[in-house]
Amino acid sequence: MSFIIANHLTRQYDLSDPWIVRMLTSNKRKQLTAVDDVSFSIDKGTTYALVGESGSGKSTIAKMVVGLLAPSAGAITFDGKMINDETISKADRQRLRRRIQMVFQSPYASLNPRWAVGDILKEPIRAFGLFDSRADQDKRVNELLDQVGLSARDANKYPHEFSGGQRQRISIARALSSQPDVIICDEPTSALDVSVQAQVLNLLKTLQKEFSLTYLFISHDLAVVSTMANKIGVLNEGKLVEEAVPSQLFAKPENPYTKMLIDAVPDFGKV
Amino acid sequence: MSGNAMIRRFLKSDFFYDFTHAPIAVVSFVVIMVIVTCAIFAGFIAPTNPFDPSSLELMNGFTPPMQPNAFTGDVFLMGADDQGRDLFSAILYGLRISLFVGVMAVILAMVLGILLGLTAGYVGGWLDNLIMRFADIQMTFPSILIAMLIHGVARGILPPELRYEMSITVLIVAIGLSEWVPFARTVRGSTMVEKEKEYVAAAQLIGLNRWQIMVRHILPNVLSPVLVIATITFALAIIAEATLSFLGVGAPRTEPSLGTLIRIGQDFLFSGEWWILLFPALTLLALALAVNLFGDWLRDKLNPRLK
Repeated sequence: MSFIIANHLTRQYDLSDPWIVRMLTSNKRKQLTAVDDVSFSIDKGTTYALVGESGSGKSTIAKMVVGLLAPSAGAITFDGKMINDETISKADRQRLRRRIQMVFQSPYASLNPRWAVGDILKEPIRAFGLFDSRADQDKRVNELLDQVGLSARDANKYPHEFSGGQRQRISIARALSSQPDVIICDEPTSALDVSVQAQVLNLLKTLQKEFSLTYLFISHDLAVVSTMANKIGVLNEGKLVEEAVPSQLFAKPENPYTKMLIDAVPDFGKV
Repeated sequence: MSGNAMIRRFLKSDFFYDFTHAPIAVVSFVVIMVIVTCAIFAGFIAPTNPFDPSSLELMNGFTPPMQPNAFTGDVFLMGADDQGRDLFSAILYGLRISLFVGVMAVILAMVLGILLGLTAGYVGGWLDNLIMRFADIQMTFPSILIAMLIHGVARGILPPELRYEMSITVLIVAIGLSEWVPFARTVRGSTMVEKEKEYVAAAQLIGLNRWQIMVRHILPNVLSPVLVIATITFALAIIAEATLSFLGVGAPRTEPSLGTLIRIGQDFLFSGEWWILLFPALTLLALALAVNLFGDWLRDKLNPRLK
């Protein structure tokens, strides 16, 4: 059964000049369509990957799925409920938020440098009211750090004391702290060394099995995607040009843009 | 972290090392500390209480420094003014008022500037335009003029019997309101940078409201330039206070600040009683210079881009 359904998702950005300038120069309004009529669905417990080059609208879709950005047209349903529904109550919206979390691209910008790791991990626990007593919260933080391969002592450290890979583990732990069903991974490994990339990807896979998580995996790296995804969607200039399972996509890509993407991977023949 | 561990970490930090190896910073810091200590403990250090009219001996008027008075035989370190007030004591007590006004005005300007800058930067849109255009308009007037305007308005509003009691408060508000713009501009700029970072998106994801994100997440990350501006504004505020008091719209004659003392001294400069002007002026100079030099060093240290 489809867990997340994106239905004719469109997002436009208004890049028009200010009103007064338009009046004087008689320029038309300019609209940039970042995401153009994209539909896909993700089954529970699977990984759906969106690939495409920069500017193809991947991150815009990610932001719409987590509810940071409202679609201009179309809708996203998650477990039968509409995301970005203006009419739902605050409590319902908060319940939805708890179930969809995100791991960000930059391990350097995604953790507040002034907060200790323990506080970073506790914030979602408090915001969603998951554990009331401080002792329980501390226990949960230690458990989370253990799950992502860090030690309980790291809770008192600050983000700058960690390497990029370790920071991404903290970021994953933060996403896990609200016990979500879905994690959106927005290029989680693109800022990491290749050796560290593999560790983080393996961690994501292990966690997926353990907690039966559903991933929406955003990437430009086909090698990464081939190891992670159950299904791949190829985005080009905001349009979904091809959708297939990995083996089929790499064996016989149908769209010329997909072919170009695959050919652009230098060592892909060896993978 | 315990207090002891924090102090030990601070003593080992690059910041402290650089401080001990910058003679100007050390000297200016020592000067500030000496002046502040003297002001705080004025009651113990000063030989007389200049605010107590009964302790004044009119016969001591115009006693030059370090010379016994012709009538009473009293000796004053820095001389006495026209009313026989010991100038050294008057300066110590005056410093208290100057420093108090300076600190409170900076706090007021800082709170206001941070609040407005954070809001303008984070919320953006028409609110940002409104706040920043207002700041632009205010910046076209010299701040001393704005302070005098605020002072004048306050005088008009306050009932006459309160004017006298409230004069220090009015002074603080006038200076504070005239100095908020640099804080707001800096904080707004840093806020606009910080709000695009992903940790802010992560906070939005868990449903925190604007206020929580601004105060808990962004504020701690935009504060380091604020410290630098606060130091430099502190020097400006002390000088502004002295200027206002010199112009006669600041601290009253009965509770003289440094500026009031300089104004009193100026009346007697041409009749040869130079010390009444010189010593308060030198104190003000030392304080403002030390704070400025220390502020400059702090700026270079904490934010090289502001240079």
